[in-house]
Amino acid sequence: MVEIRKVSKSFQKTVKDHTTRVKALSDVNLSVRPNEFVSIIGPSGCGKTTLLKIIDGLIPCDNGEISINGKSVTTPGPDRAVVFQTFALLPWRTVLANVEFSLELRQLPKEERTQTARDYLKRVGLADFENHYPHELSGGMQQRAGLARALAVNPTILLMDEPFGAVDAQTRQLLQEELLELWQRERKTVIFITHSMDEAVYLSDRVVVMTPRPGKVAEVLDVPLERPRSADQVRGDPKFVELTNYIWHSLKNAMGNHHE
Amino acid sequence: MNSRLSTNVLSILSLAALWEIAGRIMDSTLIPPLSHIGTAWWKLLVSGKLAANLTTSLGTLAAGFFLAATIGILIGLLMGRFRAVEHFLDLYVNALMSAPAIAFVPVLIMWFGLGVESRIAVVFLFAVFVIIINTMTGVKQVDSVLVEMARSFGAKEKEIFFKIILPAAMPAIMAGVRLGMGRAVKGMVTAEMLLTLTGVGAMIMQYGSAFATDSLFAVILTILLVAILTMRAVQWLDRRMTGWKAEIAIE
Repeated sequence: MVEIRKVSKSFQKTVKDHTTRVKALSDVNLSVRPNEFVSIIGPSGCGKTTLLKIIDGLIPCDNGEISINGKSVTTPGPDRAVVFQTFALLPWRTVLANVEFSLELRQLPKEERTQTARDYLKRVGLADFENHYPHELSGGMQQRAGLARALAVNPTILLMDEPFGAVDAQTRQLLQEELLELWQRERKTVIFITHSMDEAVYLSDRVVVMTPRPGKVAEVLDVPLERPRSADQVRGDPKFVELTNYIWHSLKNAMGNHHE
Repeated sequence: MNSRLSTNVLSILSLAALWEIAGRIMDSTLIPPLSHIGTAWWKLLVSGKLAANLTTSLGTLAAGFFLAATIGILIGLLMGRFRAVEHFLDLYVNALMSAPAIAFVPVLIMWFGLGVESRIAVVFLFAVFVIIINTMTGVKQVDSVLVEMARSFGAKEKEIFFKIILPAAMPAIMAGVRLGMGRAVKGMVTAEMLLTLTGVGAMIMQYGSAFATDSLFAVILTILLVAILTMRAVQWLDRRMTGWKAEIAIE
């Protein structure tokens, strides 16, 4: 159980010697159940990524608290792993060595590392590419490696920061389907940041709509679609269309209130 | 690479031909024909004079450059990693980077005397600052997302340094080392001409004042050869260490 209680965060911003404080998150509350798939959607700059970093323990919040199974989070921990928007692969390491990286930090012996890394590369469909360097792979394949690296440490919570934002539309759809399959098998809690409404609805149990800066939770919506979901079926489902429409209006409202 | 090599060879051959012709048409004391230089070079080689002097010079070069690379990379890493160290040192490093190192020669003579220590110090001063600045820049330009990624997987400061910062900064560090090598060769010859007449620098001064232009050019060409070969050695090392970067650059 991930609990986000009254989390606020502001940053100092300096433009030409003029320092102001920008409020990124204001009083965010959210509970995520074990094995739940929750998407957080909101306009650019609403603090989604900041929230994810706070949950991971990469940055502290000013007020409020994150707790996982009752324990307060202040640093990154072995129960969480992040999948980054820009993949964040090490260009001087092969795909295999990149996946091994997360295991190296956990002090696993070399043989076990390689075995585990190979296993996860197979699960994401990269078994034949273990000796390639990241720049030799397409964006979609690079993100598969990023996903394998995160899964390899066997976290209970997967934090995904717009993971498919940097790949083309067809690849994106493929990756979404693969992610759902993996999630169905591995059963992890997923907190998924996105600004695609389709993606949020297709993947999630619940969708959290956030307001523009300072980011607040505007609405939390249940996705009433059966699982397992197939992309073709879901996208034609009237409930899918209705919910994406609803989210669109909710986002528009949130942004409208912000500007006027 | 093959077409590049053949263009290089063509360039050298046409320059050599031009030189030979110019030398034969004009006064051969000012521009000796290449064939004369070749003969002079052969004589220097057989007498063992060139080898002896070159050994002295290369010893100075190696010692000075090794010190410059070690200390330069160390200071550069510290400056790139710690804002306080950077602010403490960058004024001096930048000033000394553009100041002519030659101006320090009298001071070095006072400190180290006229022996090999002074010459090593000149080579060091010529090479060290460009290595510091490149290393520092390389460290500062490491993609912060990679550091964040490592931290999120539980990396400690030491692991972040050795597994992320150092390999990511390696191409910039090696670029600094390459530039430093070029400057070190300049420092070597400068020290040998200005400080104590030894090594190939002494040969230049000797043949220059004696108007022995054929031997003079033979020595100069030898120095050029040394410059090219040391550069090649550093490039080879660079490719060994940062092959991944070169491949990305080609694409």
